[in-house]
Amino acid sequence: MKINRIYAMVLRYFYYFRHSLDRMSDAFYWPTVDLLLWGLTSAYFKQYTPLNSKVILMIVSGILLWIVVWRGQYEITVNLLEEIWNRNLINLFGSPLKFSEWIVTVLIVGIIKAFLSLGFAIIIAFLLYRVKIFYLGFYFLPFIFLLIITGWWVGFLVAGVILRFGTKVQTFAWTAIMIIAPFSAIYYPLSVLPPWAQKVAAFVPTSYVFEGARKLLNQGKVDYLDLIFSFILNIIYLLLALVFLRQSYKKVLNKGLIKVF
Amino acid sequence: MDILQVKNLTKRFGPADSGFLAVDNVSFSLKEGEILGLLGPNGAGKTTTIQMLLGVLTPTAGDIFYFGKNLKTAREEILTEINFSLTDVNLPWDLTVKENLTFLSYLYQIDDRKKRLNKLIDIFNLYQLLDLQIQDLSAGQRTRVNLAKAFINFPRVLLLDEPTASLDPDIANYIRQFILNERKQFKVSLIFTSHNMAEVEEICDRVIFINKGKIIADDTPENLARTIEISHLTLLVKDGLKRTIEECQKNQLLYRLEGRYIIVDLKERQIPNFLKTLIDRGVFYDEIAIDKPSLEDYFLEVAKRKK
Repeated sequence: MKINRIYAMVLRYFYYFRHSLDRMSDAFYWPTVDLLLWGLTSAYFKQYTPLNSKVILMIVSGILLWIVVWRGQYEITVNLLEEIWNRNLINLFGSPLKFSEWIVTVLIVGIIKAFLSLGFAIIIAFLLYRVKIFYLGFYFLPFIFLLIITGWWVGFLVAGVILRFGTKVQTFAWTAIMIIAPFSAIYYPLSVLPPWAQKVAAFVPTSYVFEGARKLLNQGKVDYLDLIFSFILNIIYLLLALVFLRQSYKKVLNKGLIKVF
Repeated sequence: MDILQVKNLTKRFGPADSGFLAVDNVSFSLKEGEILGLLGPNGAGKTTTIQMLLGVLTPTAGDIFYFGKNLKTAREEILTEINFSLTDVNLPWDLTVKENLTFLSYLYQIDDRKKRLNKLIDIFNLYQLLDLQIQDLSAGQRTRVNLAKAFINFPRVLLLDEPTASLDPDIANYIRQFILNERKQFKVSLIFTSHNMAEVEEICDRVIFINKGKIIADDTPENLARTIEISHLTLLVKDGLKRTIEECQKNQLLYRLEGRYIIVDLKERQIPNFLKTLIDRGVFYDEIAIDKPSLEDYFLEVAKRKK
């Protein structure tokens, strides 16, 4: 793996980010809209809940943490789509760039942009609702780490599907992550889910993260068992997703990268 | 010295028994400093071959060796030393010309980046385009940027697919001269595809003709043209056009009329007798031109065979 090639690709995606209104709005506009709509809705409901209710904190922290998952997967799939839309795949993979170097690039770009969007959203949340999600400081870092990994494996899975079937399935780049959203219990406790959905949620790593984050915010303590469960599931899914992506790339080389257009 | 060796290259799309055989057991080589034309009708297997040469399509069978190293096992090392410009491939549209060249210079790990980029900007006259996004360039301007990309890493082997398509004639000529100069100065080897047969004749040392996935000819442009026996005789007939047509019909020669000119297709050795017969029949002509068979005639002949 060569640093210069990874740097070149990081540069390529940041040049693109600079020019693209679409990607700017993904990073800043939509998180702001989410925070406004959900934050105001929870502020309204707070009037009907006990005085010490943390409903705004719960909802807003759910929004903020979901940004991490979403950005993680979105950077992988949309950057792949960007190369396909631009008919640039052959320029990249006909160069010395390795597929593994491209993967590392999108992970780096994903992390940077996740923190960029998250940082921006945290400021907005504080300005609008005086919510300080990170008052618990470093306790939140493992949660963020686990959410990023979830974003990665979903991203790799979708990227593999796009490589195999081309742009006719590009909608998965925006929608696939939402399949796990209801089972992740982002804004509500797991107990709200019907029993069958709770069984499904047991296999969704983000459900442990959001449940754990709520415990942290409510009780001020970290449930390490939740984190370990989430970590194990995440690692299994990440490895499977990487194998699938690698196989998809090999498959696409058999029919020709040019056919992905 | 062979800088590229292609051995028994085969590509089949789909199942082994019923799939489509796009490239069928193709073998050829490219010498250092040689310019090789890869020609053939649409669907002949040129693009498939080029994709395999770039490592973006896995061959069903066969091997590709650059500088004596197998592309399968030394991909990274090989791709550092070759480059390409393909018609179906674009540089990122949202990026400016300068941004594209900058990120590519890192991708190919160019040592003195600034110097190299300035040189390319100068050669391909990109000064006015540097801050424009690729999507805002004309087809010709895009071709120039693609060529700058292709030369960015001082490639030892270049694959150029229609490099002068959509360029103005003067710029196309400038690019051809540049390519020839690079070959002379740096011994760059080139694989070149073009639909402009005159251009191929001008710059290619050798031509490989592919049809239905097979190499059907591998020779110099001149020798390939020579295999076609038919020449074109053009006459500006002053008196006796009807008699000339009758003579063509009598000898079963193909002819066509273009304004006041008649163009007759016939073998070179038939020309003296044909002209003598016309004189004997009292035909007078003001102008005469004989076009010897060209690579284009060879191409047309192969295309006809394909149909």
